[in-house]
Amino acid sequence: MIKTSTQNELIQYVYNDLADDACEQLEVALVQDTELADSCSELLLIQQLLDDAAKAPRKHVIDNILNYSKNLSLRS
Amino acid sequence: MNTTTLISDSALVSLYIAGKESAFEQLVNRHKNKVYTTIFLIVKDSYTAEDLLQDTFIKAIHTMKSGRYNEEGKFSSWICRIAHNLAIDHFRKEKRSPMITLEDGSNVFNNMSFSEDSAESLQIKEDTHARLRELIQTLPQTQREVLMMRHYAEMSFQEIADATGVSINTALGRMRYALINLRKKMQNNDITYDKNLYSE
Repeated sequence: MIKTSTQNELIQYVYNDLADDACEQLEVALVQDTELADSCSELLLIQQLLDDAAKAPRKHVIDNILNYSKNLSLRS
Repeated sequence: MNTTTLISDSALVSLYIAGKESAFEQLVNRHKNKVYTTIFLIVKDSYTAEDLLQDTFIKAIHTMKSGRYNEEGKFSSWICRIAHNLAIDHFRKEKRSPMITLEDGSNVFNNMSFSEDSAESLQIKEDTHARLRELIQTLPQTQREVLMMRHYAEMSFQEIADATGVSINTALGRMRYALINLRKKMQNNDITYDKNLYSE
């Protein structure tokens, strides 16, 4: 059973939000603890899936934004 | 290799303020998908999300051009915070209940590279992503909020804790439950990770 504090650290670890010293300790634990390593792997997979699930706006929307900026610069 | 991709957001903001429009184009292209997804997950409508995406960047343009941009935080967090606030404002004004709507996908592009995929695997991926977005909508509001702020708005857990008025441990716990619940929902909905589809 993984402790809640360790699970929280794992979340911070996969999101690059963990202090360096805590990172080193966790990486040592990941090598020794299969259950922890599996949890980490699972989190990374969900992360990847969430990344891929991001949507993109249509091109003309981005063109509108860029044109707005250019026109504003020309006026100033 | 295109070395321009290595320029930091902070440097691009400085270049843009100095008059380099190409720097702004890079910033927009770098962050458009996460900002758009942040908005879409709140308003749940592609067209409204696109309108609010434009409003978000227009607000950012005026803030940067007028010299009011605060260098202290990350650009990604800042722009997503603007997007989040505009989306929430819109949601409140519309007084819409958080309906889960199905997407037809015909008017949106996905950010994945499809060049080497078969039509079948592309369809599987798109279906999976659409269903995942629907499942995100079904998470409890506090969990969905943290997930969006951390994953799409790229805010740190401390920033999320400050923004939502909870401790960092509470924010972390909510994120953990969001991911656990998402995984359970995926399993219950027969959405599985196909490691062949997601391997590089």
